[in-house]
Amino acid sequence: MSFWEYVGSRHAQLLTDTFQHASAVFQCMVIATVLGVVLAVATYRSEWAGALATMTTATILTIPSLAMIGLLIPVVGLGVAPTVVALTLYGLLPVVRNAIVGLRGVDPALVDAAKGIGMSRTARLFRVELPLAWPPILTGIRVATQMLMGIAAIAAFASGPGLGNEIFRGIASLGSANALNQVLSGTLGIVVLALLFDAAYVLIGRLTIPRGIRA
Amino acid sequence: MTPGVTPGASPDGGGRRRPPDGPAGAALPDDAETAERELAAGTAPTASLAPGGRRISWQKWTCMPAFLAAALLATWLWFRGARLDSIAHQAVDHGKVWLALRQHVQLTAISTVFVLVIAIPLGIALTRPWLRRATPVAMAFANLGQAVPALGLLVLLVIWLGIGARSAIVGMVVYAVLPVLANTLAGLRGIDPTLTEAARGIGMSPMGVLSKVELPLAVPLILAGVRTALVLNVGTATLATFGGGGGLGDLISAGIITQRMPVLILGSVLTVALALLVEWLASLAELLLRPRGLEVAT
Repeated sequence: MSFWEYVGSRHAQLLTDTFQHASAVFQCMVIATVLGVVLAVATYRSEWAGALATMTTATILTIPSLAMIGLLIPVVGLGVAPTVVALTLYGLLPVVRNAIVGLRGVDPALVDAAKGIGMSRTARLFRVELPLAWPPILTGIRVATQMLMGIAAIAAFASGPGLGNEIFRGIASLGSANALNQVLSGTLGIVVLALLFDAAYVLIGRLTIPRGIRA
Repeated sequence: MTPGVTPGASPDGGGRRRPPDGPAGAALPDDAETAERELAAGTAPTASLAPGGRRISWQKWTCMPAFLAAALLATWLWFRGARLDSIAHQAVDHGKVWLALRQHVQLTAISTVFVLVIAIPLGIALTRPWLRRATPVAMAFANLGQAVPALGLLVLLVIWLGIGARSAIVGMVVYAVLPVLANTLAGLRGIDPTLTEAARGIGMSPMGVLSKVELPLAVPLILAGVRTALVLNVGTATLATFGGGGGLGDLISAGIITQRMPVLILGSVLTVALALLVEWLASLAELLLRPRGLEVAT
């Protein structure tokens, strides 16, 4: 069976896996972004708290994903839960780091000016600091998404959702005629998803980065 | 995809123990590119300089090993007390744990050597004038390569080259070369052109400029590349088990497949400890081997 015949005959399964892969990565990325920005906002003012947040998330990122999933299984069991927890944890670091760098990079004169025209602390954060820090945060999200794509594939080993299942089916039938097709379809599916997400982020960047700070 | 690349591992404000974000720092959107470049430029030269310069605080020296020792001791005590049935015994008996650990270290070491031997000379070559036009192509290729999942790449290589440690090592090298190459390129291109021009101006040959000016200035960057490669490879080596390549992934996958939690936890804790230890050693080496001349923050 050629690769395209294989894709044709299994397109329902492949589409389901692709959709689940994309949705798992997307949802975890949303959680990671919210958590990451909150963490950054809470810590960027203090030198040591910021360093601590960056260091903790960096340590998490150093842990190999298979080991992280292995440690999560006794706690949360098999299936979707370890996938979601692992993906969210790994997605945090680039967002937290870039958000802290971005927030610290905001010109203090601008914040002072905002204060001067009577903006509250919250208004300053949401209307001045976060919009100015948004480009690096978006970069962090992009970087994190690309990484999560690959980690989600590994999470399929703990019965997680997504295209990793296709790859592991191929490993299970190593040597059979369809092994290559299965692994190839899973891998290429992830590559395509990663590129689509990347394109979407470029678009989001164009739409959401304030006109005034565009390069 | 824009060919813009930040030196993934080098721009970094506070945290000294940086992630293996070679694959991370790769692609930038057009809009954020300049902002990010500025950030990178602002932080890169002084990135790993703590306020105290090279003086590493004693906490930095002892915190991580102490934590690892405590975690390993706790795991060992717990593992000794855990009740193992015959299936769990089969997974850990006859020195299988040591074998897995040794295989893991070997896989990591061998693939890291290959990554450095390939990526750094390639990075130097791509920044030479006669090849400079190929750099955007290489960058675009490197960015595209980041989208390929490590697991898929490894398994495809196993299908192609056969089961065993060899295909695992090839896969790990292919996977880690791109981020290290991207870092090397970004760093060499980040060298102040006035310095190389001054070197040319006092009559140095292109080889002299490379060996006496550019390479010494790029040492921190090359060390960062070593660390990125090491950390990435420790992680990817866990996947070698899916291609019959051995390593600590064997314990983890055996634990998951047979549902024996002691085996799973032992494998995972050892992997985590090894990864953190390697990262710690590499970041220490990065600080100690940095040329003294580059320490003075301007």
